[in-house]
Amino acid sequence: MSNNSDSKKKNKKQSETTLEMVPIFIMGKKHDVPATLTIQKAFEYAGYQLVRGCGCRGGICGACGTVYRFPDSYRIEVGLACQTVVKPNMYISQIPFFPANKAVYDIEELEPTGSTVWALYPEIFKCVGCGTCTRSCPMDIDVMEYISRAIRGDIAGAAELSFDCVMCGLCTVRCPSEEVQYNIGILTRRLYGRHIAKRAKHLEDAVENVKQKKFDKGVKKLKKMDIDKLKEIYSARETEPQFGPEEWEPENKDYLITE
Amino acid sequence: MGNKKTKLHYYPGCTLKEKTTNLDDTTYAVMDLLGYELIEPENWTCCGAEFPLTEEKIVGLAAPVRILRQVKLEGGNKVFTVCSFCFNVLKRANEAMVTDPLKHKRINAFLKDDITIDRVTGDKTTGFPEYNGDVSVLHLLEFIRDEVGYEKIRALIKRDLGKVKVVPYYGCRLLRPKGKIGIDKPDDPSIFEEFLENIGCEVIDFPFKQECCGSYLSLSMPDAASEASYNVLRSAKLNGADVLALSCPLCYYNLDRRQDRIKEKFPEFHEMPVLFFTQLLAWALGVDEEILGLDQHFCDPRSVLGIDKSGVEI
Ligand code: SF4
Ligand code: SF4
Ligand code: FES
Repeated sequence: MSNNSDSKKKNKKQSETTLEMVPIFIMGKKHDVPATLTIQKAFEYAGYQLVRGCGCRGGICGACGTVYRFPDSYRIEVGLACQTVVKPNMYISQIPFFPANKAVYDIEELEPTGSTVWALYPEIFKCVGCGTCTRSCPMDIDVMEYISRAIRGDIAGAAELSFDCVMCGLCTVRCPSEEVQYNIGILTRRLYGRHIAKRAKHLEDAVENVKQKKFDKGVKKLKKMDIDKLKEIYSARETEPQFGPEEWEPENKDYLITE
Repeated sequence: MGNKKTKLHYYPGCTLKEKTTNLDDTTYAVMDLLGYELIEPENWTCCGAEFPLTEEKIVGLAAPVRILRQVKLEGGNKVFTVCSFCFNVLKRANEAMVTDPLKHKRINAFLKDDITIDRVTGDKTTGFPEYNGDVSVLHLLEFIRDEVGYEKIRALIKRDLGKVKVVPYYGCRLLRPKGKIGIDKPDDPSIFEEFLENIGCEVIDFPFKQECCGSYLSLSMPDAASEASYNVLRSAKLNGADVLALSCPLCYYNLDRRQDRIKEKFPEFHEMPVLFFTQLLAWALGVDEEILGLDQHFCDPRSVLGIDKSGVEI
């Protein structure tokens, strides 16, 4: 008996938690959605099929930039729809696309200097330092700061500070000076990567080793292998431990080329 | 003599970090010798370069006021600049926060919602306090006159400038608008002259010291800028100067880097070296030549400093 009523209670509790609903407003229309959903899933729950403004669903691609507000606050809030859990009474609109100018360039021909950025995006000097871009970034990047670094020709600084940018464009939507911050950011990162960062010597060595056919023997052996055997050795392969020492090497050195 | 340096806020401005690093580098060098450790306000941005003159369009005040607020938040009560443009903007923005209650209210309401993000922890800060114009904005020439003192400068001189004949060029931004900027009397200034005399120069007066160099016309009407700069340099030469001293990166651009264009337009023009006041001071205080960044100049100023072409002091 007691057992029974216990499980009843449990059942009731469970259904209550799964059904906790919150009201949200998608482009002004009210929907009740489960409280645990992200904005992206709430859209789908409410019946929208997302064909734009949705990509990786993992907070990386930047396709799902979203703005929202609450009735009792003047603030414009921002988030990535796939990463932000709904809150009661949020008024939501996704910004799946916003036009942005993009300079065309051959990175090989550019120099990593301020002048390069200024020539490709002369409007950068219109930035009035209002800070709205920083307030609008769902990745918590100090956008204004990387733009100021670019203005003063600090390419490495701009590249580093804009590193987490997912190109969602929310900063661009709200900039009073019509900057396309994320395209300026990626230009500085490309300039940095191509012209400032140290070349990765071990990569060059590895490519050289490929060219010298040092791996060919091993590859040939694998190519001839029977599929089940291949699966077996693949599953049994050694992988570098996540926190392994710098000089880690596999036990089986057959495929290892050092020097 | 203790070697602990006095901390002092310094706002360099964008141009000094790319186009005129010679001005920035010599500022650091001389301030170090004078016993100061310079602090650049964290996350400084461009000051805007122009003070917004419109009553309603005041967004241009946001950046300079934020910079000044940052100085205050970092515990500073003064900040100095060497660029005449930055000085002009910061000083007037500061003044607006004292004298214009409506601008004070609007800009502070806007800047209150600023967000800063800690680089290490990622923590966000918002809800900033009001800024009431209580940081003093100084130009380095002023700071040297009023706080360092010429006596101290004279005592530290290591190289004799050999009475090099210098014209001080104030340009527009150091002195005007009257009553708001005033590192000196706009019609009859003497601060630059006194500075130059005290570091061992022979000061030459010339009628173009407060005339415009062409300023931003160098972008929109380059010919007009060439003409304005030509007039300044020609007058300096006619009055017997060896070199023109200034404090503004834009004047420097027009008066030095534009000399090739001036020559095209006025074939009889003679080149004239141009130096930042900090470069002259640095040289007098014994700073190494390479810090002066003389290769950045169009017209080589080495001969007026007594350096031969190969860099040897004559
Ligand atoms: S929003 Fe635009 S104008 Fe404002 S600080 Fe950012 S880039 Fe500059
Ligand atoms: S910098 Fe701009 S485009 Fe990049 S993540 Fe932030 S808001 Fe999005
Ligand atoms: S869908 Fe890619 S970041 Fe949200």
